[in-house]
Amino acid sequence: MDNINRRKFIGKTALAGIGLTGAAALITSCKRKPDSKELGLPPILSGAPKGKKLRAGLVGAGARGTGAAINFISSGPDLEIVALADVFQDKIDACRERFASFNLPIPAENCFVGFDGYKKLMALPDVDVVILATPPQFRPDHFLAAVSNNKHAFLEKPVAVDPVGIRSVITTAKKAAAIGLCVVTGTQRRHQEDYIETYKQVAGGAIGTITSAKAFWNQDHVWFREREEGWNDMEYMIRNWNNFCWLCGDHILDTHVHNIDVINWFMGKHPEKAIGYGGRHRRVTGDQYDFFSIDFDYGNGVSSHSMCRQIDSCANGTGEVVVGTDGYTNCVNTIWDLNGKIKWQFEYPKDENGNPMNAVKIPPYVQEHMHLVHAIRTGNYVNEAETTAISTLTAIMGRTAAYTGRLITWDEIFKSDMDLGPSKIEFGPVDMVFETPIPGTPVNV
Amino acid sequence: MKIVKNRKRTLLSGKSKVWFIILGIIAGIIILKSGSAVVSYTSSDKYCVSCHIHPLADQSWKLSTHYNNPSGNIVHCSECHLPPEGHGYLYAKAKHGMKDIYGYLFKDSAEINWQEKKMVEKARGFVYEKSCLECHQNLFPVTLSVNGGNAHLFYTTSKEPLNCINCHLNVGHFDKNAIHAHDTTFGVTVTASQEVFTEAAKVDKFENFNEKIPGTNVSFEMVAIRGGEFNMGSPETEPLRKPDEGPVRKVAVSNFFIAKTEVTWNEYLAFFRATGSQGRTEGQVVKNKKVDAISGATPPWGAPDQGWGKGSRPAITMSWHAANVYCQWLSKVTGKKYRLPTEAEWEYACRGGTETPYFFEGSPKDFTSKGLLKKIFGPDTTKIASRVIYSVNSSSRTMEPESVKPNPYGLKNMSGNVSEFCLDFYSPDTYKADTVSAVNPRGPVRGQEHVIRGGSFKSDARDVRSASRDFTKTKAWLVTDPQMPKSIWWYSDCIDVGFRVVCEADSSVLK
Repeated sequence: MDNINRRKFIGKTALAGIGLTGAAALITSCKRKPDSKELGLPPILSGAPKGKKLRAGLVGAGARGTGAAINFISSGPDLEIVALADVFQDKIDACRERFASFNLPIPAENCFVGFDGYKKLMALPDVDVVILATPPQFRPDHFLAAVSNNKHAFLEKPVAVDPVGIRSVITTAKKAAAIGLCVVTGTQRRHQEDYIETYKQVAGGAIGTITSAKAFWNQDHVWFREREEGWNDMEYMIRNWNNFCWLCGDHILDTHVHNIDVINWFMGKHPEKAIGYGGRHRRVTGDQYDFFSIDFDYGNGVSSHSMCRQIDSCANGTGEVVVGTDGYTNCVNTIWDLNGKIKWQFEYPKDENGNPMNAVKIPPYVQEHMHLVHAIRTGNYVNEAETTAISTLTAIMGRTAAYTGRLITWDEIFKSDMDLGPSKIEFGPVDMVFETPIPGTPVNV
Repeated sequence: MKIVKNRKRTLLSGKSKVWFIILGIIAGIIILKSGSAVVSYTSSDKYCVSCHIHPLADQSWKLSTHYNNPSGNIVHCSECHLPPEGHGYLYAKAKHGMKDIYGYLFKDSAEINWQEKKMVEKARGFVYEKSCLECHQNLFPVTLSVNGGNAHLFYTTSKEPLNCINCHLNVGHFDKNAIHAHDTTFGVTVTASQEVFTEAAKVDKFENFNEKIPGTNVSFEMVAIRGGEFNMGSPETEPLRKPDEGPVRKVAVSNFFIAKTEVTWNEYLAFFRATGSQGRTEGQVVKNKKVDAISGATPPWGAPDQGWGKGSRPAITMSWHAANVYCQWLSKVTGKKYRLPTEAEWEYACRGGTETPYFFEGSPKDFTSKGLLKKIFGPDTTKIASRVIYSVNSSSRTMEPESVKPNPYGLKNMSGNVSEFCLDFYSPDTYKADTVSAVNPRGPVRGQEHVIRGGSFKSDARDVRSASRDFTKTKAWLVTDPQMPKSIWWYSDCIDVGFRVVCEADSSVLK
């Protein structure tokens, strides 16, 4: 009883958690169709509302960071990018040029190079919002600095690469909630109208009780960089960050976390444990796997099969499937009954010829920023950091299961002291060994 | 009849009724007004201090962060020691008030065990969680540290009931010995610069010897216990026994040496200094098959000795795992075979040849403090008080071995002072199992928790009987450890467990 009361009390400051728990209760018990607010769903907007000018600083000015910054300014009126931070001068230059080409110059004195550049950016009193888009290794520290400096934040996913980072993000999320700082994360499916409408159908009982799920992100190989002359260990790894686990978290975090997040969202909870396989055959650089296959156990006999692969010329595809007692769904736009007959379909907007398009009107990458600006300007508080941290930790649990071959429980991974990366982050030689993880122990001869 | 009826009507109607109601309202207002004045007066600091003769309460409160803080905000007695209004305030006030009046009239404040009342188990009874949370509404302030964040995350997600004072015990009453942090200096400095032993004791006969820990000035006495047969467990006729102590069975143990006292802080710190590490192994049992390099305990959280002093007091709060690694280390540095005692060896040594509930005369029924009659007349303490450190004579802390008489084998504090780890896993059915060998029996092959024996300074007399059994409670004993994962070396929530070592008496020792 004490604990329940305490949870209620904590709940006031932990709005992020409400989405998950609220949805779970509603899926199982509610006959009436619940509305978006009860389900913790964001509003579908055609643009962010007017309001006080919001100035944003971008930390991590690479391709996704620059993209996120453009998404931010295009989400509504009076939105500016006023500062940049990155560890490489060339990334900053490229990003500034891009903005200059839109006639939106970013002053040179507000551009900071180096590992501590983010600190200088966060110290700028004019910055209201920060967009955190570096490799996920650095996200927990950047997020903490943002909240300590009273900045609203947009966090690209994944939000950390290890449990130490995850706990830091959850704690910082609660700190942000306590002082009313809004946080939106780059889990774009949760901001995509077709997913949201499908979720409403499932929450309203369209497929009955969920019995199993599948999540997959199978694609060709992704980008990598070979080492160039003059690059020290640290520079090489950061320029090739997508291929080192301590920076990227492996692709089960980097990309597959989207699918894992959708399954957690539809299930209304995170899995209790994971067993999985993975391996490496085709990769050229780094220390990561090519493929994972994980069984996430959600309890009561409900499992989700999660798979992801990055190898050329294989069967590809990305998406999710959730199966219930009365039907199944692809989570994005269609619900079938158990005989394969379509029960419901999302209606996409029509093009000028009257034919339905195959995408929602507002791209989810922009919709995310509309939500953030909407929340800041209207006071409809949003904080997605904890939910995304839980989904990222789910992926870490799967990755650890595959790397070690062991059964990994939620309790173990939540409390783990796994802390990837060198103890000191600085350019120069790095004293680390990059062995590809091998599960289990060798046969005794 | 009719008249009587009419009279009744006149009594309850007309002008007098109006007056009656008005008077009633006035009386009600007076009672309510004075009542609330009484309630608020009797909740004031002044009123509390007027009869709380506890000499330190007022002073330690004024030194605490709830009084002496940069914001100048003073938290008053009743704001912590009563629940907030609307959460059973008046009920709690009445309950504590009655207790206080009883204590004031019938008890001598000098004889009240204030030390005991400072322990978290007791403090929970008069510090209200809801009151903490009434003021501390934000558990995640921006300035919260990483460890603080982890601890509060644990608090908000814990399925076990947890109180704020599990960690923040001394925030209302200052305690200079309390440390709320990693004590990295714990036991690191060697104070005495006496001569150190260059080699361990040589043993060539089966008799008592004085072990010397090489490289230190620490030595301790080992007592030779001649093996034999004995009745292990307690008969059903023994008063206040528990079912896991039976059935009694005949058991034989071989010769062994056992330490005269529980492992002291001097002994344990020698190990801590020699092997202390930052290393820890996450969630897995450490298997030290090769003990070339023994990695020992991490710095403890808070003060493991509780500020009671170290020296020859028994070392406490180390985990079973830590005690076991201590034995491995001691074996390595002395070249002998040290380990924890089996449960059978422990009871054989404790009994010292006796078959009675204690190793001295007397009945648990007379010694126990439980029961209404005992509350009034007090328990019998003759014989037991000079031989056992238990709840009645301990002042709620460990004592040095000099303060008690030995048992017939010359061993001290087998009963009481601190509970002692045994080598065996615990099962309530150990004695019932017919698969157990009658010679040098061992506990279950697998298990989670280990046997602890002998009771402690916290125990009632019935739990310091020779046959009493208990077991480690790993989860509960680590409840407030704020680290993730929790320490494998120190218990954060158990202050009355320690151990003593056994040395095997085989040819490797008797050269």
